[in-house]
Amino acid sequence: MTRARPATKVLVYAVLLVGAAITITPFVSMVSTSFKPQAFVLELPPQLIPEEPTVGNYTRAWTSNGFARYFLNSAIIAAAHVIGVLGLGSMMAYAFARFEFVGKKVMFYALIITLMIPGMMLIIPQFLLARDLSLIDTRLGLVLFYIAAQLAFVTFLLRGFFESVPRELEEAMRVDGAGAWRIYWNLMLPLSRPALATAGIFAFLFAWDEFIWALTIINDPDLRTLPIGIALFQGQHATAWGLVFAASIIAITPVLIVFVVFQRHFVSGLQAGAVKG
Amino acid sequence: MNTTRWGLLVTLLFVAAACAGGGDSTTAASEPDTPTVQASEPAAPEEQEAAEPSAEPEEAGGDPVTVTYWHAYNEEGPEAQALNEVVIPRFEEENPNVTVEAVAFPYDDLRQKLITSTAGGTLPCLVRSDIIWVPELAELGVLVALDQQMTDFDELASRTYEGTLATNLWDGSYYGLPLDTNTRVLMYNQEALDAAGLSEPPATFVDLQALADGLAEDEAFAFADNGTSGWNMLPWIWSAGGALTDEDITQATGYLNSPESAAAVEMLVDLHGAGEIPDLILGADGGIATSEGLPKATYATILDGPWMFPIFEGQYPDFELQTALMPEGPGGSVSVVGGEDIVLTQSCEQPEAAMDVIRFMLSDFAQTEMARVGQMPVLSDLGDQLTDIQPYYAIFAEQLQTARPRTPHPQYPKIEEVMSTEIQRAFRGEVSVQEALDSAAEQIDQILTSS
Amino acid sequence: MTAPATGTRPAGTSPHGRVAGPVTPARSRLTARATPYVFLLPGMALFIGLMLYPMVQAFRMSLYEWNILPGAVSQFVGLANYGRAFDDPVFWTALVNSTVYMLVTVPTQMALGMGIAVLLNQAIRGRVAFRVLFYLPVVTSWVVVSLLFKYLFNSQAGLVNYVLVDLLGVLGSPVAWLQNRWTALATISLLGIWKGMGWSMLIFLAGLQGIPADLLEAAEVDGASTARRFFAITLPLLRPVVVFVTIMLVIGGFNVFISVFLITGGGPANQTEVLLTQMYEQAFSFLDFGYGAAIAYLLTALIFGLSFIQMRWFDYGEETAA
Repeated sequence: MTRARPATKVLVYAVLLVGAAITITPFVSMVSTSFKPQAFVLELPPQLIPEEPTVGNYTRAWTSNGFARYFLNSAIIAAAHVIGVLGLGSMMAYAFARFEFVGKKVMFYALIITLMIPGMMLIIPQFLLARDLSLIDTRLGLVLFYIAAQLAFVTFLLRGFFESVPRELEEAMRVDGAGAWRIYWNLMLPLSRPALATAGIFAFLFAWDEFIWALTIINDPDLRTLPIGIALFQGQHATAWGLVFAASIIAITPVLIVFVVFQRHFVSGLQAGAVKG
Repeated sequence: MNTTRWGLLVTLLFVAAACAGGGDSTTAASEPDTPTVQASEPAAPEEQEAAEPSAEPEEAGGDPVTVTYWHAYNEEGPEAQALNEVVIPRFEEENPNVTVEAVAFPYDDLRQKLITSTAGGTLPCLVRSDIIWVPELAELGVLVALDQQMTDFDELASRTYEGTLATNLWDGSYYGLPLDTNTRVLMYNQEALDAAGLSEPPATFVDLQALADGLAEDEAFAFADNGTSGWNMLPWIWSAGGALTDEDITQATGYLNSPESAAAVEMLVDLHGAGEIPDLILGADGGIATSEGLPKATYATILDGPWMFPIFEGQYPDFELQTALMPEGPGGSVSVVGGEDIVLTQSCEQPEAAMDVIRFMLSDFAQTEMARVGQMPVLSDLGDQLTDIQPYYAIFAEQLQTARPRTPHPQYPKIEEVMSTEIQRAFRGEVSVQEALDSAAEQIDQILTSS
Repeated sequence: MTAPATGTRPAGTSPHGRVAGPVTPARSRLTARATPYVFLLPGMALFIGLMLYPMVQAFRMSLYEWNILPGAVSQFVGLANYGRAFDDPVFWTALVNSTVYMLVTVPTQMALGMGIAVLLNQAIRGRVAFRVLFYLPVVTSWVVVSLLFKYLFNSQAGLVNYVLVDLLGVLGSPVAWLQNRWTALATISLLGIWKGMGWSMLIFLAGLQGIPADLLEAAEVDGASTARRFFAITLPLLRPVVVFVTIMLVIGGFNVFISVFLITGGGPANQTEVLLTQMYEQAFSFLDFGYGAAIAYLLTALIFGLSFIQMRWFDYGEETAA
């Protein structure tokens, strides 16, 4: 992290504040709507502060059929997904970043290609596969396919960061007799904390937000995830906007908590210090 | 050392997997004696079961069975509540060995869910299907032809509205029964009519033109609609005496591009050109929805269904919604049938129990209970009972007497897409109405001959 | 790889040749050769089984007039579904729209994301709050933000027209944003940029964290300007990250779907159709899965070609994948 001079600091703040203001405007409208009773949702001119603010949408969203349960389901699935995809992805990334082996190029391109094919098109083959593996209507079916779907992305992301870890550190450990596993665990992973945190945030978000696959393989209402729960608020002929927005805001909260927690690992100077030592 | 680390990681993953899998065992355990229909126990083929036509309807001491039922009733609204707390409990009380497992899916996503499940052969027993999907599902061969399997089919069918029942017909067989229905009637804002100096809503195409002429430029739009699909355009085309295809659904040329059909579309295109119909009709939304424009007197008239009553009541309590029949043209006042059918799938391993559910859903009890929460009954003979529940059902019941279903054909989604796109081009002034309809008819002919 | 493979030793073992230590050379070589596969095995097994296999199945679909019924016979049509796309005017419209969306959103997101990341990589107060703020659009579901933008860009009652026409008076009359091809694409692109900016910001930020602070400090002592330090030190060191973000954003740009699907649905008259909305419509509305899969694979081929060029361009493949 670099330290700025006071003069530039003012400029930096000015730019950040303007940017933040633009970024947040649509949210203000969303938050404001979530506190409005239905009749005031589409008022013109738009009202920033609701005339008759209410938390009714929030209480209704939270107490409606099974919303709390969907929330818990999503939390379990997202946690399992983050652990799984970071574990498997970092191992693969390490292999790609530090080893030469037969079939490397082929495997690498196979991974990349799956990032490019539109996931919607895989729904039917994947569904048939899940059926044959008895994974329909199971949380395992969600988690395994989520991991498989995001593995390429996480591997690709982490590999880039692993590449940038100076090789000198590894050589030093190797001289001390460390094997590949120890280098992976004691060197690569700790040094890549910002990258792991980033991948972890994306992984959590992915599992938390995923809709189509959850819709496809889950029939049991007790196993539903949050996005399905929110979609159920959208009716056939009319959408209760305040309710949908309130439910969405409730759903965003855990992601923000995860974000704040993980991004603490964006500690600077780690590598610099390590190189020096 | 290395192995320990490795072991730790594996353990972690297993814990994660166990967490993930754990939920299933608990849910499975919580319902020990209700085998789902997807269970792989061998079941007697459909034909055999049907060969002994419901001889023992309430087989006492029969094994408990579960009938799965997918629908898109609003789960947070009164509809699903009525289904889950009134209708199904009564059925289960009368049929102690049958459990109905009704599951709600988001309305917009039910179709995709059904298609994927079709590919997987994992459809539930019963589906509350949009009426326009029935021929498509029937053509795929996933539905049971009810008129061949239910001995009392004719009896049940005879009580329903004709136009509604017709939505279940494909290739000479009925693949479902109507469950709820609706149609579009004219809804108007008297305030806006007053501005045009009219005391009565437009009863004919000519009146609509008069309304448009009476409204000053900066006042309300005479009419508004949100697209050019069959749901939007067919009431005008039919009322003008036009049609989409011939009766046997073999060709569109001579029907969709007939002078009658063209006159109806021309009238709307001209009104749009004159600024009396807003751009909303170009589809793609992006304007004031009809449900907001009408109560705010931005739009003088719209066409819509019975669900608008509770919506307006909730959102615009001060607005007094008024209705009239679809404006009459040379072909009469003909609106479009909407609603849902209930269908039985080939994947069902409990067809007898499922048919009992269908019978029950068409009973006076179930139909009137669902009517209380806005699901318009399909039984044409409910009469006073219907208007006692909701007075506003009367106008819809009247309109339904002449209303027609959208072309019941497996390729309907494609046909509609062609029609909608071409008519939009006419609204955008890229081509003349006649050119648009000629082109649409030609493309639809190709779809019809190739299928 | 920095260590060049030497003479007789197979290239695959080069990084490990030196690790021999006390173990017998033959055994060490064997373990060394097996090591990468052990790291790859669990992940690749899952990946091949649950992703690659379905991909092959989807490709097979594209060669058939595919019948979705289990057990039904589908007719093999070879490459006819691919040929059909080239004669389909909607496909070309969709291709142009997808390309325009990609070309507009990718550079903008990269520039803004990098700019914010650099600013937020400084020791300033409220850093975390700003990070959260810029990250907010990323975490909100596509469905919700799409509906939100549709609501904001409503031609008759939207906030955007209200601000532009009534408050600022920049425009004389309201714009029908969603009812014309280019304004609708502009709206959708704006949503894409707004939603994606925080994503690239986060990755760039993580990348910036990896740059040794003493390098930059040394350059500062030598009198290098801020801009010079950025272009001479930061950017070259971030190259793998920049390439990664570019490739991912190009893929993401061509895969734009939910926003178009929910905001315009491809309308009016297919004017705003993108490749994935067309694919979805063919597959799930018309049950033409063969044609849908063909569109998906044409898109994949296009993206793959572009990514390949990018990797060559940046020497990425040579350095890392080879």
